[in-house]
Amino acid sequence: MIRYIVRRLLGAIPVLFGLSIVLFAFVHLLPGDPCSAILGQHRTEEACARLRANLGLDDPLTVQYLRYLGSLLRGDLGASVINNKPFLDEFLVRFPGTIELTLGALVFAVGLGIPLGRLAARHAQSWLDGVVTAISLFGISIPVFVLGLVLVVVFGVGLGWLPTQGRIDARLRFESVTNFMLIDTLLAGRPDLFVDAVRHLILPSIALGSIPLAIITRITRASVIEVSHEDYVRTARAKGLTERRVDERHIMRNAWLPVTTVIGLQVGGLLAGAVLTETVFVWNGVGRWVVDAIGNRDLTIVQSTILVFALIFLVVNLIVDIGYAFLNPRIRYA
Amino acid sequence: MRRRLVALAGAAVLVVAACGGAASPTPAASPSPGQSAAPSAPASPTGQPKAGGTLVVALPGDITRTDPALIDDSNSSYVMTQVMEGLVALKPGTTSEVVPALAESWTISPDGKTYTFKLRQGVKFHDGTDFNAEAVKFNYDRWKNFPTELQDYSYYAGAVFGGYGDTSNIASVDVVDPYTVTITLKQPNSSFLLAQTLTVFAISSPTALRAGKADNSETDVSKIPYAQGGPPAMVGTGPFKFKEWVVGDHVTVERNPDYWNKDAVPYLDAIVFRPVAEEAQRLNGLASGELDFAQVVAPVDIATIRQNPDLQVIDRGESCNIAQISMNHKYSPINNKTIREAIAYAVNKQYLIDTFYAGLAVPADNWMPLNTLYAKPLNLPTYDPEKAKQLIAESGVTDLTIDFYYPSDVTRPYMPDPKGIFEAITSDLEAVGFTIVPHTETWRPDYLDHEYAGNFEMWLLGWTCDWAGPDNFLKTAFFGYVDGEPSTEFAYRNDELEKTMNDALAATDEATAKALWEKAQDLIRADMPTVPLVNSTPPAAARADVKGFIGSGNLTEYFNTVWLDR
Amino acid sequence: MSSSAPSLSLGRRRGGRAVEARVSRGLWADALRRLVRNRPALVGLALVAVFVVAALAAPVVAPYGPYERAGGQLEPPSPAHLFGTDLLGRDVFSRVLYGAQISLQVGVVAVLLALLTGGIIGALAGGFGGWVDAALMRLTDVLLAIPGILLAIGIVAWLGRGMPQLMLAIAVTYTPIFARLLRGSLLALREVDYVVAARSIGASPLRILTRHMLPNAVTPLIVQATLVLATAIIDIAGLGFLGLGPPDPRTPEWGTMLVDARRFLQTAPHIVFFVGGAIVVSAIGFNLLGDGLRESLDPRLKR
Repeated sequence: MIRYIVRRLLGAIPVLFGLSIVLFAFVHLLPGDPCSAILGQHRTEEACARLRANLGLDDPLTVQYLRYLGSLLRGDLGASVINNKPFLDEFLVRFPGTIELTLGALVFAVGLGIPLGRLAARHAQSWLDGVVTAISLFGISIPVFVLGLVLVVVFGVGLGWLPTQGRIDARLRFESVTNFMLIDTLLAGRPDLFVDAVRHLILPSIALGSIPLAIITRITRASVIEVSHEDYVRTARAKGLTERRVDERHIMRNAWLPVTTVIGLQVGGLLAGAVLTETVFVWNGVGRWVVDAIGNRDLTIVQSTILVFALIFLVVNLIVDIGYAFLNPRIRYA
Repeated sequence: MRRRLVALAGAAVLVVAACGGAASPTPAASPSPGQSAAPSAPASPTGQPKAGGTLVVALPGDITRTDPALIDDSNSSYVMTQVMEGLVALKPGTTSEVVPALAESWTISPDGKTYTFKLRQGVKFHDGTDFNAEAVKFNYDRWKNFPTELQDYSYYAGAVFGGYGDTSNIASVDVVDPYTVTITLKQPNSSFLLAQTLTVFAISSPTALRAGKADNSETDVSKIPYAQGGPPAMVGTGPFKFKEWVVGDHVTVERNPDYWNKDAVPYLDAIVFRPVAEEAQRLNGLASGELDFAQVVAPVDIATIRQNPDLQVIDRGESCNIAQISMNHKYSPINNKTIREAIAYAVNKQYLIDTFYAGLAVPADNWMPLNTLYAKPLNLPTYDPEKAKQLIAESGVTDLTIDFYYPSDVTRPYMPDPKGIFEAITSDLEAVGFTIVPHTETWRPDYLDHEYAGNFEMWLLGWTCDWAGPDNFLKTAFFGYVDGEPSTEFAYRNDELEKTMNDALAATDEATAKALWEKAQDLIRADMPTVPLVNSTPPAAARADVKGFIGSGNLTEYFNTVWLDR
Repeated sequence: MSSSAPSLSLGRRRGGRAVEARVSRGLWADALRRLVRNRPALVGLALVAVFVVAALAAPVVAPYGPYERAGGQLEPPSPAHLFGTDLLGRDVFSRVLYGAQISLQVGVVAVLLALLTGGIIGALAGGFGGWVDAALMRLTDVLLAIPGILLAIGIVAWLGRGMPQLMLAIAVTYTPIFARLLRGSLLALREVDYVVAARSIGASPLRILTRHMLPNAVTPLIVQATLVLATAIIDIAGLGFLGLGPPDPRTPEWGTMLVDARRFLQTAPHIVFFVGGAIVVSAIGFNLLGDGLRESLDPRLKR
């Protein structure tokens, strides 16, 4: 087990290295001069030249890359070229919002997706199966921003049940400590605000969770069907165990494995979906920030955000894989 | 305008405009920001104003910086207008009427070079320091002497004062006594006073400027706390005080209970400005009550808002903008005058107005709104596809392929649906025989950069005025030369027009100016360098219980008169 | 792009046993027999058929041209305009039909591109193993770790605006998924009896790969491909939302149409309903068919 973990950790090193190259290429291949983004259309050529020199953009690409790699190795993620605020400071202001949103979406997707998937599997190839598939596919085939607006119009404006935008009521004067609204409201001893924050979280979580919901439903269904055809399940049935017991003890215990893996893989998709969801719901998170940064050619922010996203993706999947290997010894030789 | 405020290009409007009269079509019913703004004024016919409450305002985007001298976008200036004041201000609801603000009164020397401002006494900045002549001098000296590195962010200072340091048109700023200051110009500039109404010329507390490294000691804008949200930042004298800017989320300003004009202390406790990029969410937020006011709403949503008794549409009255089909004369066939004329006949402007502007616009009959000073109807072509075809035939041009651009990710006050407008115009042009090659780019930075560099043959763009003066449209926004040569943007050469406009600016009497500006309009009309589309009034919307708001065609709007009837 | 591979891990796990020697005898005949007995799959097949026919027959069936100003502004559905009209008075029904053409094209091209590149990477990695495998898999890990939409934004920003660029951007985001799927299947097949046998009689690695392994490893790819066909439309919509859609705004591409229609969610909800409905129905069709195919091609799931 230790050897497996060590091997996986070592395996992450070339990925990170490759990632640094891809990210470096990513921001340097973006057309458009940072000059025009930072200085505007009325910039002078001298100002532009000065800026390029300051940002080190005149050096050979290899020098720039090595400098970038060097700062990464020192743990320096840089500062915004627009307002000079350190990346990490700004990131930590926004990331809690994205985490809350992503976790909300995951809770929705897992909480609904697994029961739906099991239901569909139990009635595989029946009309119920078809209906579940249709419901789950609804989410996957409507863009997040359209689904988000539909939810807002129905539940926010029409029924007036839930707020339509933001992380908390804009009229509140509220000091953030951790920037996790759910934590800050409790720290402030305001359970009413906590409820308000949760209410703000519901619609965006559903919108963002719709795609993972579809995927988790489908993978649960497929996995349960597959496991239920395994010999040990047939044996269990043949022994005369109740269907419920077969389901709990033999099917789900094994069907969980691929479902867990897929949940891990959703993290990347959720961070990407957050880009759109945050825009619709005026949610001050990392997704909206990075899209703005691309528009502003704030190269440091773009590079570092994607790097952190990728790190999170790798770490989550590492944890999932290790957990998977722990649960399922067969995987280790693969 | 391009980035909305931008550019006066050095010269300007006549004093006449500043002194009221012709340029301010809305008569003086509305109170000035500093004057008789509130409780005494009949703020609303529906009842007695109530104090208190927080107003949540949706802006189309976030502010860029917190130093008024280092911005050129309308979101920033909209917020700062509540917090900062200059020597003079635009009268609420007007686009060219100057009223006193921090200066009680002023005199202009007969040679037009020396402005003497009598300052208001007993005014304190939000940090508690005194406002006086020294503070004015400190600010003007700062703008005049911006280091090279900062000049790229201080477009207005450079444009209005004609440069920096020795090349600045400001000869000196002198403190006569603690409450009298004179500004001496090298050359008379008839638009000088009007330009001082712009938020970028608001007076900041010198103490705060020094503490925030905004005293020209720091040359890297990213390292100037005063520009990056502070502390300190936006320390002015206005009716609201800057509280906080959470980038990407909100800007909060609070009532200034010590506002020098006791009659104009705001009713509101605070205003929260939020960037809400998604148009539908501005409407949704208003409907759900999470937002109180939206600076701009989509015209297509107007009908929905009118049907909702909880909401109101706010009409901004006179238009101070124009949308047009811009053209670069270095490309063929757009360099052919008959072809441009044909395009003007081919486009159905009324259809655009009905479809995209919800009727809140009129077909443009000039390169500026007709209520602008000296503007006259030019009888521009109206929709006539047959005439267009005929002109195309006459032109003898056979290659009718045109590269046509639109911005893909924005709406502008003058152009609420660039993509839709583009589709409609493209269909109109193809109907008369043109072949349109569609192109699009994102607004920032590509679109603006590329159109300015002259990379586009034909594209959609417009202008929202800084004030309603002919130079602001004809010269600054469109056809003025840059460094003595036609701009790369339009590549439109007309030396006589350039000379006429410069003479008009230098004119000392109104009759000469009028004649010259009318001549300039005729010259432009004869060449049809671009095709004007419409003049619109971008609608705002609010909860029905938001009272006392005074809209303005160029979005210079003050919230100290606003109160909540709830 | 935000939807990563549902069948990814399954494909990897299942590969070893999914393909048995007897399958090669009558895989398709066998599968077809099972497919026709799978009702949801048949529904899926029917929906896909409607989608394809609509795409092909659009010029004949559509009552109006896709750009034609056929009626008033934002008219609700009526006999003259089954799905109503849009802001510019164009017939939404006709545009949805023509859109099927473009969306099918986008989906197919994106899938083919992703299949091709992902397939080559996966085949090289899974077929040769060793350092080739290690290097290529790290490469796909890198691509997989970057959120798809950001990768696509980068590609569109780099290559410029246009339908081909959009398709390429989407294909790139799916490439690592196909690569990993195929590699997983191939790795599992390496130890399968008939491959071991072929190796023992001295068949060349290339021949083993192309003749014995690849044909038996494509099932998960096919299933994944049906999914991507649907999600490609959503991905284009996402890019359109960020202002990176096709340069000709009149293009009746479903994703782009939906991006525009969202502005009229309150004034003219029928456009979102019908355009969104078209996407949902086609996605359901492709997915049901994909499920059916997977189940039909997997003999263990035989009833």
